[in-house]
Amino acid sequence: MILPDTPLKSLSAAVLVAAGGLAAAPAMADDFYAGKTIEMVVPFGEGGATYVAAKFLEPFLEKHLPGNPQVNVRTRPGGGSILGANWFQQNAEPDGETILFTTSSTSNPYVLGMEEVEYDLAAMRPAYSLPFGAVIYVSPRTGIETPADLHSPDMPLIYGGIAAAASDLPVLLAFELLDLDLRAVLGFDGRGPARLAFERGETNIDFQFTPAYMSQVVDMVEAGSAVPIMTGGSVGDDGVLSARDLAFPDYPSVYEVYEELHGEPPSGVEWDAFQAIGATTFNFGLTAYLPEGTPDEVIEIFEQTIAAINDDPDYQEQSQDAIGGYDLLPASAVTDSLSEALQPSDEVRDYLRTLLSEKYDVEL
Amino acid sequence: MLENIVSALDILFQPARLLALFAGMLAGMVFGMLPGLGGVAAVSILLPFIYLMDGYAGLAMLLGAISVIYTSDTITSVLLGAPGSPASAPTAIEGHALAKQGKASLALGVGFLASMVGGLFGALILSVAIPIAGPLVLALGTPELFMFALVGLCFAASMVGRDIALGLAAACFGILLGVVGAAPAAANYRFIFGQSYLMDGLSLPIVALGLFAVAELISMVATGGGIAGKPMALGKWGESFREFWRSRWLICRASVIGIFGGFVPAVGASASTWIAYGHAMSTTKDKRRFGKGEIRGVASAEGANNATVISDLVPTMLFSVPGGPAAAIFLGALFSFGFYPGPRMVSESPDLMYMIVWSVALASVLGAAICFAVTPYIARLTRVNFALIAAPLLLIMVAGAYQGTQTFGDILALLVLGIVGWLMKNAGIPRAPVLVGFVLATPMEQYFWLTTQIHGFTWLTRPGVLIIASLIAIPLVLNAVRWLRRRRTAVPQTETAVPGEEPPGHDSGIVLFTALLMVAAFGYALVEMLGFRPNARLMPSLGIVPGLLLSLYVLGRQLFRLHRQGRVANLASRRELPILGGILSYGLAMWLIGFNLATPLLLGWLLLGCARMRWHTALLYGMAVYAVAQGMFTLMRLTPPRGTLLDLPMPW
Repeated sequence: MILPDTPLKSLSAAVLVAAGGLAAAPAMADDFYAGKTIEMVVPFGEGGATYVAAKFLEPFLEKHLPGNPQVNVRTRPGGGSILGANWFQQNAEPDGETILFTTSSTSNPYVLGMEEVEYDLAAMRPAYSLPFGAVIYVSPRTGIETPADLHSPDMPLIYGGIAAAASDLPVLLAFELLDLDLRAVLGFDGRGPARLAFERGETNIDFQFTPAYMSQVVDMVEAGSAVPIMTGGSVGDDGVLSARDLAFPDYPSVYEVYEELHGEPPSGVEWDAFQAIGATTFNFGLTAYLPEGTPDEVIEIFEQTIAAINDDPDYQEQSQDAIGGYDLLPASAVTDSLSEALQPSDEVRDYLRTLLSEKYDVEL
Repeated sequence: MLENIVSALDILFQPARLLALFAGMLAGMVFGMLPGLGGVAAVSILLPFIYLMDGYAGLAMLLGAISVIYTSDTITSVLLGAPGSPASAPTAIEGHALAKQGKASLALGVGFLASMVGGLFGALILSVAIPIAGPLVLALGTPELFMFALVGLCFAASMVGRDIALGLAAACFGILLGVVGAAPAAANYRFIFGQSYLMDGLSLPIVALGLFAVAELISMVATGGGIAGKPMALGKWGESFREFWRSRWLICRASVIGIFGGFVPAVGASASTWIAYGHAMSTTKDKRRFGKGEIRGVASAEGANNATVISDLVPTMLFSVPGGPAAAIFLGALFSFGFYPGPRMVSESPDLMYMIVWSVALASVLGAAICFAVTPYIARLTRVNFALIAAPLLLIMVAGAYQGTQTFGDILALLVLGIVGWLMKNAGIPRAPVLVGFVLATPMEQYFWLTTQIHGFTWLTRPGVLIIASLIAIPLVLNAVRWLRRRRTAVPQTETAVPGEEPPGHDSGIVLFTALLMVAAFGYALVEMLGFRPNARLMPSLGIVPGLLLSLYVLGRQLFRLHRQGRVANLASRRELPILGGILSYGLAMWLIGFNLATPLLLGWLLLGCARMRWHTALLYGMAVYAVAQGMFTLMRLTPPRGTLLDLPMPW
């Protein structure tokens, strides 16, 4: 006999959720964080881009979170961010007092299913995201002036990167999607050294994230030694990376470039793969995760806090230089799209693993 | 420009900023002196505090620390023989040898003054070269960076000591340690045994601490008494000033070498220090004293390493590509204060540029002066029973290692490398080549791979490559010519050492055991390496294949010696075994019951058992040491290692 047990199950779940809500209710949202300390775990070393962004956000969170908690940025480097994320999975309590603030370096190994990963990122609850856009640019020696020239360069395209399975992945996937003929030289120890190689003329196509692009590449563009081509784009109303990067409204996104070259919007597994990895790298570039089971109340507190920070004139003034001028994305704008990007279909996963192992000799 | 120079001085000479600079210097000096806690530790500990100040004061604080680290770590290198970083390894070798001959003041004085000159050269280059250094840094392409690392390794090889087979085997072992972790050329993790801890490779402070500091600590506790055995006469400073003046041009040249080292990211300080040391060797007529206490070795190394750490800031400020780990943190601080390094910064914030120059110059001079002032007090510590110093020292080392990843892997790596270091010390295998091989393995592999990928084989004809290559070739040719000429004119000299004779002071049992271990390690690594992707095999094979052959030779030679002598002789290191065991037990106890409970046991054993203190003084002293250790952890915002069985949480 088969009982229609589904409604019953969801009912009991609803009761549980309600009970949880009741239990948390006495702590009023107004002073939820009064006298508390929030530990923001950054799984990278001091001085890196994530650390700098976390330190930039620290005073704004202290100012706008109800009860004005003390926010401490704590670095836990190692294993390309995997050690810190594993630590967070094992030790963080779902009380809203420990946050993991990290990048696609943590989400890519998760999406690819690397065996060192002990954290369940999709089960965690995003509190907010800070977009981390990127611009792809070429050397004028290639003769490329617009995206349409990408398939007819004057010289072979050579790209310098760090590692295929790391932060180069979205850009390599974009090259793959656009079917560019280029040679990727991987093994640089950072985007900075890769940019130096571009400046020396050793490579001729490169990308930089917004803060580095603003401080380093804008000058090169003005001097005529670099030509901006496209950005990774940002998540539009359709939930995918179709819109332009908000920091660079003049440059087309990868989506648009594909459309221009092929006369139709991108689709298929190549696009799905770029979309999944690109969204976590660019649109949700720096994301604050709360542990699995964090009550809705905490998420709601962050939702309001993020809105308040975005409205803060100090934030608007300082964010331009520090982080590229992006608004913070509240959980409501992050959760669904990010969750989808973190759990791509098996087809996309297979495509990624095959591409990495066959073209870049990466065994996962 | 002149007005900027003056207005920058005005900016710096605000009481709060000067205070911040001095506070940074103080922290830098203390951390420079503590073995294993170098620039990175000092700067990362200061980092949270700089956010409490204005931008200029915060940056002055970091600069104060960066500028004096390599000045004050001379003290540890000379008195303890344990270098704070690979860039001080020559100082530890030559300076400590001088200290043992009662010439500590000579080594220290010349070291301080050379450091000061190096720092001033660095400041000078920052002020004049930033506008013009851009093209120079850009001229150093990937092939030149590779050549620079190679030159560094070659010069370090000149330091392998008298027993070339042992020295080279040690360098190969260093390469083996250096290739642990992710391979740059292929997506391959090497020798990580499934541990995510090893994915980033071993960290430099832990390797340096384990190989040198732990081993020195063990033998000193076992010997009992002070570091120097007998009271160490510091001597007078006068001679050091005369010697400094005599070596002034050498120090200037070493500083220039150091400055170039700073322009090269990642290879920087260690390579340039060894190149400067090699330069000192090739320009000194009487080479016999090298390795046994040659003051010119100290002078060149100290001039170079301080110049490098300052000129590391040149690529940092121009291209926001940090030249070294401390510069990387400084870069993050610049971002946080809203300064965005790049070609524009030089023209847009000249005040900041010259404030940095002034801070570095001031800190270099004052740092040297303070070192002169405090050295007599620190030298007195060398007469205290070492078991008393060992307790806080060991705890500092644990804290220093643990700040790496804050996992137990840090402690385990420290202890395992400590055993390796102890074995090597007692087997008479030089440890400096291990450190150099370790540091240069990754950049060499990385740059070689990038070079051949980007340039094919045309890179060999690049003028920059040829110029740097001549740094290796010219001294080699000169030496060969000199050797040929001597051979033709002079009568053959009588061999000084009879082959097959045991070098004195080494435990033959340990030599045999270590040689066996090395054969096993290299053999295992060879088998493992065959499973790597082709692109991930090159660098490991450069270490493993010669390493295996050399260690087989050493093993065979040792067996032959033992056979001739009939009996295992000279078991001197056996009495150090209880101390080694004690420290390993401490590690085990930390794993089981946590740092907070294991440390009182360690203190009890060291103070009552080894130093034979009376129990009430031991209690007082032990509590003070314990409080300081806990304070260190709090200051670094670390929770001490927790036990797996039980744990005593601290109330804060």
